[in-house]
Amino acid sequence: MQLTGKSKAALIIGLLPAFLIYTVFAIYPIIQSFYYSFMEWDGFSEMEFIGLQNFENLFQDSLFWNSVGNNIFVVIASVFGQIPIALFIALLLNRKIKGLKIFRTIGFLPVVLSTVVISLTWSLIYNTKDGMINEILRAVGLDFLAQNWLGDTKWSMVAVCITVIWQFVGLYLIIFLAALQNIPEEVKEAAKIDGASEWMTTWKITIPMIWDTIIVAIILCISGSLRTFDLIYVMTHGGPSHSTDVMALYMFNETFSNLKYGYGSAISVFIFFFSLLLIGFVKKILGQKFI
Amino acid sequence: METTIKKTTQSALPLHQSTRKMSVKNTLIYAVLIIFSVINVYPIIWMIINSFKSEKEFAVNQFGLPKTLVIDNYIEAWGTANLGVLFKNSIFICLLATVLTVLIGALASYFLARIEFKFKNALYTFFIFGMLIPIHATLVPMFILLKNLGLLNNPITLLFPYIAFHLPITIFILTSFMKAFPKDIEESAIIDGCGIFRIFWSIILPMSRPALATVIILNFIYNWNEFSFALVLLNDPALQTLPLGLASFAGQFTVNYGAQMAGLTMSMIPIIIFYLFLEKEIVNGMTAGAVKG
Repeated sequence: MQLTGKSKAALIIGLLPAFLIYTVFAIYPIIQSFYYSFMEWDGFSEMEFIGLQNFENLFQDSLFWNSVGNNIFVVIASVFGQIPIALFIALLLNRKIKGLKIFRTIGFLPVVLSTVVISLTWSLIYNTKDGMINEILRAVGLDFLAQNWLGDTKWSMVAVCITVIWQFVGLYLIIFLAALQNIPEEVKEAAKIDGASEWMTTWKITIPMIWDTIIVAIILCISGSLRTFDLIYVMTHGGPSHSTDVMALYMFNETFSNLKYGYGSAISVFIFFFSLLLIGFVKKILGQKFI
Repeated sequence: METTIKKTTQSALPLHQSTRKMSVKNTLIYAVLIIFSVINVYPIIWMIINSFKSEKEFAVNQFGLPKTLVIDNYIEAWGTANLGVLFKNSIFICLLATVLTVLIGALASYFLARIEFKFKNALYTFFIFGMLIPIHATLVPMFILLKNLGLLNNPITLLFPYIAFHLPITIFILTSFMKAFPKDIEESAIIDGCGIFRIFWSIILPMSRPALATVIILNFIYNWNEFSFALVLLNDPALQTLPLGLASFAGQFTVNYGAQMAGLTMSMIPIIIFYLFLEKEIVNGMTAGAVKG
């Protein structure tokens, strides 16, 4: 529809609320964090301009690089955990099967729960003394395998990643299932008549046909797990001895516990570019349009 | 059944052998699916069952059903965690943020989808860019901004980040839906003398009902589960939302597992009921939100 002169005012009234609140509370903070990243500031006293000092410190901060490494570990564990499991279960469900609806309902359930609830539940499951996992191990006579799962630097990251995988498998399962159910019946029938085994049909026909969806899921999985914060904050707070620290958590602690607002902002800027570049890069390799 | 018959008639194998092979395969498939489902749901059931056990019983019998239903855990959790207040705060902020986001977003989407103006595409891209912003990169500046505006620890503090960060996906979903309407819808309305907002309110909005349902559910669940902004922007216990309150409650009660499990169960039940009733809409909304985001 074209606008007449009078309705220019309507245009402004219609778009202004969204534009204002989005610009002030989503875009402006990003710009502000660039500004603060050049400052030394404890949040109370005068800010002091220190140029690129924060970034120089950041690049030499081994604890920060440790958190970047852990973050990448979470991303890799998510991609190689969530995607294959979800795809496998979706392929099993993609047939005339009794109880499909129930399997789907149960599969998606963890996705709707809040991360805090999931983190607290799994903290109880991993609990050394009375946790479910150690109880099961003791019950089957594998006492020696019982661990302080979240309190041992050897196991903490693995334990956290298992929870991350558990939380989101259902999301990808549903995405894959929807894509599989869009494949026309005739394609599968034709393959069957040609004598292709189910295994062959899956590899040569089904998976190639949903390849685009798989790529979208991988990208989603990377950007989602890159943002891990709540879960680790609640489960381990980055410990023990920084073994589960991730970028956002390290930024949070530096800013609000150590009162280094400028330094924290520099980490924010890093996270911003790191996320954009990584996702852009992955989209490029996997051949998907950016945005 | 139909496929079994088809397959057996085509295959060279004798009938009984082939059906047996099929049923072994089916059994295996069901076994895998059931194991997957148990892993998916048992942690939750384990917690709900154990929330009814006394501390002593939990220590010796954590896999069986409770011998007697102990509701002390629930009384303690409700009292100490202040669950009533947490529920009230969460419902208030979620409803308000969802209504405002969807209203403001729908209005903007209407102009972006249906009306020609300069810089329209640039503005749309500007909004959609928000889906790429990692929200954690904004925690520190958001804290400083709201502090400077005197809006920290206020009942409406969380409205600002919640609306701002969920507008992009809301606008994205609604705009693509509204774009699909035929072009001449507005024309007859204009001839009838309808104003531009009248067309929005009485024609476009009702027509967008399915997409509105998606974004309402999406916003509600995101806001209900949100933790990071609440953590940074609120420290008055009277204003905390459910996830934030639960996290600090668990911190105080590292020993009393029963009360912790009772608190978690109570906070989970509403969302599970909501999910069981609106499963289709929720699944559609969340997968659309994820895929498009």
